[in-house]
Amino acid sequence: MRHSVPLTIDRPVLVSAVLVRVPAGFPSPAQDSFDDGRIDLNEVLIRDVTSTFIFRVTGDSMEGIGIYSGDEVLVDRSLTPKHGSVVIAVLDGDFTIKTLHVHPDRVVLHPENPAYPNVEVPSLSTLHIWGVVVYGIRHINQRKLH
Amino acid sequence: MIALVDVNNFYASCEALFEPSLAGKPLVVLSNNDGCVVARSAEAKALGIKMGDPWFQLRADAKRWRLEKRSSNYQLYADLSERVMLLLARHARGQEVYSIDECFLLPPHGTPEEQVRWARRLKATVARNIGLPVSIGIASSKTRAKIATECAKKLPATGGVVHWDQAPEGYWDRLMEALPVTEVWGIAGRLAKRLEAMGIETTADLRDADPVAIRHKFSVVQMRTVLELNGFPAIPVEDEVATKAQILVSRSFPDPIWDPEIVGQAVAEFAQRASRRLRKEGEVAGRFTVFASTSPHRPGPAHNVSAHVRLAVPTNEPGPLVAAARSALVPKLMHGMSYMRAGILCMDLALEGAVPVLPGVLEQPAQIGELIDAVNRRFGTGTLALGRIGTHSPAPWANHQADLSPRYTTDWSELRSVS
Repeated sequence: MRHSVPLTIDRPVLVSAVLVRVPAGFPSPAQDSFDDGRIDLNEVLIRDVTSTFIFRVTGDSMEGIGIYSGDEVLVDRSLTPKHGSVVIAVLDGDFTIKTLHVHPDRVVLHPENPAYPNVEVPSLSTLHIWGVVVYGIRHINQRKLH
Repeated sequence: MIALVDVNNFYASCEALFEPSLAGKPLVVLSNNDGCVVARSAEAKALGIKMGDPWFQLRADAKRWRLEKRSSNYQLYADLSERVMLLLARHARGQEVYSIDECFLLPPHGTPEEQVRWARRLKATVARNIGLPVSIGIASSKTRAKIATECAKKLPATGGVVHWDQAPEGYWDRLMEALPVTEVWGIAGRLAKRLEAMGIETTADLRDADPVAIRHKFSVVQMRTVLELNGFPAIPVEDEVATKAQILVSRSFPDPIWDPEIVGQAVAEFAQRASRRLRKEGEVAGRFTVFASTSPHRPGPAHNVSAHVRLAVPTNEPGPLVAAARSALVPKLMHGMSYMRAGILCMDLALEGAVPVLPGVLEQPAQIGELIDAVNRRFGTGTLALGRIGTHSPAPWANHQADLSPRYTTDWSELRSVS
């Protein structure tokens, strides 16, 4: 309980009225939980900002798993590529997006479209895995981005 | 102990990250306007190309050498630098970012072996997560760490990591006796000449100099260098680096500009860049210098002009900066001179709001800087500007950047494509 203290003033002062809207009714219960802000896609989709890069896909070689021409993909370099990972690979100095197939005796870059042949990697030394694809951004009812 | 982490051939390595076919090729990155070499790949270094070599001198041999060139892509370099610095900070007890491609770290406490293991892991993590090669030197002082890092970079057998306390007996003595004093961190130019005149020619000479005598002849800064060469940490690792003391925006023009009015327009643009940078840092400038000069390499009369302006109200607003810069410089320029360079140097920087200004005493400029930034962020750089730079016809002083790589990591429309 707050005790009231009598106000004593030994000289005249100018008192200005401050008008504040005081909302009636219940405070919004949503306000408390909104303090955390909206969903931030960066937080949801990016595990580590230092190692995540964005590439744009051209061509239809990965359509079988839903990566279409014009899509963007999020690439995380910090992940270890495994058999079955969709990867950005560098083969003879060129970037390519394929599924990595690691067999005991050979490594294959597998396109997810039967129209394209598998790329057999002759020796590991010519193949460099640049990063692992973690998300694809599919454009639906595309609106112009910039 | 202090570790120095340095990205090898930083700009060249950034270019190769998004253009893997450049790996193993001689590559140079050129300055603004593609004037001269500001970075070289290892292969370009092996061709004997030096920092600062003008491109026109290399052009004749470029084809025969299969020399690749790129214009400076500062957006890309800045983004990759930030990633590296963020990553390194996570793995150290403290960090001082020293430049775009270098930082000092406080390594974990431990034996030299443990610190070397930490450094090798760190180097591997940067290589994997970001894709850039780094060299790491560890020593008891910053100046020694600099020397150790150079060794890490130049001696492949080190695997890119050198710990001062792990070198063979007498190694550093022999190295310092062979290392010119100009190679010491912070010693260059006139200072090096004065030292050499005193008979201090090698790093070992400076290490063995009397620190007190050096302080009397030079300053406490040079005395610290002597102490640091002897292994005493005299320059602390600054976790919070003081705000930048100056902001410089200057350019060489691709072609000479004869009309003072056009030089004034160029300076107006540079002032707006400076103002944008100030706003980004949350700082205001109290004074600035504007300057323009003819080229020392061209025949004809030379003219170097500069004007110093103290602002009544420290500001980062483009309006007053542009107006003051133009009116200070343009009347001093002469018709018939071929100006090749101009710029603005903002000084007396202070945090916004730190300088109290009595309201109503001085007229405050309209706050339009933030608005211009917002419009340009949304509709593209140069959409809105003061003076004659908002138009889309390229300005006569605009950069010639013939081989600019895309801004792969900072611009949605310029992402790296892959098929």
